Amino acid sequence: MQTPMVQIRALSRRFQQGDVEVLALDRVTLDIAEGDFVALMGPSGSGKSTLLHIIAGIDRPTSGQCIVRDVDVATLSESALANWRNSHVGFVFQTFNLIPVLTALENVELPLLLTGLSAAQRRAHAEAALELVGLSDRLRHLPRQLSGGQEQRVAIARALATDPTLLVADEPTGNLDARAAQDVLELLEVLNREAGKTIVMVTHDPKAAGHARRIVRLEKGELSPDAAAGLAT
Amino acid sequence: MNLAGFIARNAMRNKRRVILTTFSVALSLFLYTVLQTALREMTQPASSEDSALRLVVRHRVSLANVLPVKYHARINSMPGVRVCSKFTWFGGVYQDAKNFFPQFACEPDKIAPLFAEAEFDPREIADFIGDRTGCIVGVKTMERFRWKVGQKITLTGTIWDCSPELTIRGVYRGGVDETNLFFQHAYFDELTGDLGSVGTYWIKALNADVIPELIARIDRTFENSDAETKTETERAFQLSFVSMFGNIKMLIGSISTVIVFTMILVTASTMSMAIRERMREIAILKAIGFDGKRVVSMIVAESFGLALAGGIVGCFGAKLLFANVDIYALTQGFFLKFDVTPHILAGGMLIAAVLGVTSCAIPALTAMRATIVAGLRELD
Ligand SMILES: Nc1ncnc2c1ncn2[C@@H]1O[C@H](COP(=O)(O)OP(=O)(O)OP(=O)(O)O)[C@@H](O)[C@H]1O
Ligand SMILES: [Mg+2]
Repeated sequence: MQTPMVQIRALSRRFQQGDVEVLALDRVTLDIAEGDFVALMGPSGSGKSTLLHIIAGIDRPTSGQCIVRDVDVATLSESALANWRNSHVGFVFQTFNLIPVLTALENVELPLLLTGLSAAQRRAHAEAALELVGLSDRLRHLPRQLSGGQEQRVAIARALATDPTLLVADEPTGNLDARAAQDVLELLEVLNREAGKTIVMVTHDPKAAGHARRIVRLEKGELSPDAAAGLAT
Repeated sequence: MNLAGFIARNAMRNKRRVILTTFSVALSLFLYTVLQTALREMTQPASSEDSALRLVVRHRVSLANVLPVKYHARINSMPGVRVCSKFTWFGGVYQDAKNFFPQFACEPDKIAPLFAEAEFDPREIADFIGDRTGCIVGVKTMERFRWKVGQKITLTGTIWDCSPELTIRGVYRGGVDETNLFFQHAYFDELTGDLGSVGTYWIKALNADVIPELIARIDRTFENSDAETKTETERAFQLSFVSMFGNIKMLIGSISTVIVFTMILVTASTMSMAIRERMREIAILKAIGFDGKRVVSMIVAESFGLALAGGIVGCFGAKLLFANVDIYALTQGFFLKFDVTPHILAGGMLIAAVLGVTSCAIPALTAMRATIVAGLRELD
């Protein structure tokens, strides 16, 4: 069997808030295979976002390891880590987090500015990504001229632009109505099945989790015993 | 789109901020430029102008002390002197104490060559020379009292206890000051009982090059005498009146400093508000792969661009304005010209550049240090 793309080993994350210490993640061990689509579920405050942040390299563990494609992410310097994120991780957030002064096309182009691509190549990549999410006719629209569902699809296109190893999404449908949420989830599913993208998605919504291949549950920072069980679709 | 385009888009995102920031920087640097130019014009007179060739010799102690008349011949014979005239401030009034205007006792044949930039009628000058009690009056004073050429007027002395009865022999126009009255020193000497003293000597030098040497020579000649002299350019002489109100240089220097500091504070506060509003976006940029250094340089570039734009508008706006304004008329002769020099422009632009960097230093560092996770939580 191939080595898993993400190997999480005895991962803990503590937050110090004044005198109080919060143990957000408690010795979590988890593998995510290439091409998997994992839904992270659990009650509020159970550490879902924290785990996602560490996998995506925007937060560092207090102890334990998170190895993505043979790289122990926590050992990279700030600058190297930024570089690593640019080429390996695509982010999708609950609030769409597009840059308001940039058009849809420019937002998608943003991560490509850090690559060695020429202006024409950047444009072509960005256009292709927007086409993939079905927004070829909205290239010149500013975020405020788009619906919530469209904004989230632009965000997904931006996450895909650099062709990352891993797509992470924190409650991507949390701010969408049922119809738009359905579109986004179907899009993620297609990206996973047809483009082979590895996806980790945090969600509260069991229906959303139903689109994933696998459900991992967190409870007070620990993996639920039945974590390995749930196989969906 | 490229990185520069993105920075420009960020800078322009809030039109009101752009306009207010640019405008306040422009206004401050405009003021700075004006002050520095004024300072320069006051402290270093224009050498090409006719008036810059005039020197004033006065008593070293103060203007209230007089000089011996025998100095006249000695100064007159010095190399580099084109004209030298006795010049005594009379300080009288016409009819009433409120009717004050400058009056000088001088040598009638020296007036026209001394004030070559003013317009004299040669026939009137001849009349003035020919009349011991004649006088020549500037057009502004003529109009003020509705005087006519040929009219007889009586001045009442406030310093000297005498009342010259004068006949107006001519009018002059233009020049530095159109309010003066010139009458004959010989008549003044007669009225005051031949004191053998003179208030000041006014000199017209041959050219600008001889001035430093001439000044040194005059003062050296009368060193260690009863009446030591202080010789200076007309401009410096006038300035010594202005300086009675304080140290102009220090005043202008401190005003400029206050302007620059206020500008830094104002710009820094708008800049930090602008960045604070964007903390979440900055977190997104970092998540996407922009590292701390890149984030800082983008913020600095934005602030730098805004400050420089303000600097260009302010400094070059001042240059453009004064190139098209008759400063001589506007300041009633106080400034002969108002040259915004490349040196002053460079100073202003340097301040703009420093301003651009310093005003965003703190928000840029805050943005660099903020963690992505904290940024994502902003306004969530
Ligand atoms: N920066 C922080 N400082 C202090 N405590 C934190 C910080 N981030 C997270 N925590 C704490 O860690 C725990 C897990 O937080 P996390 O955001 O991962 O939960 P979550 O499962 O994503 O919850 P939700 O479903 O509400 O988003 C919580 O108790 C939270 O208060
Ligand atoms: Mg969360």
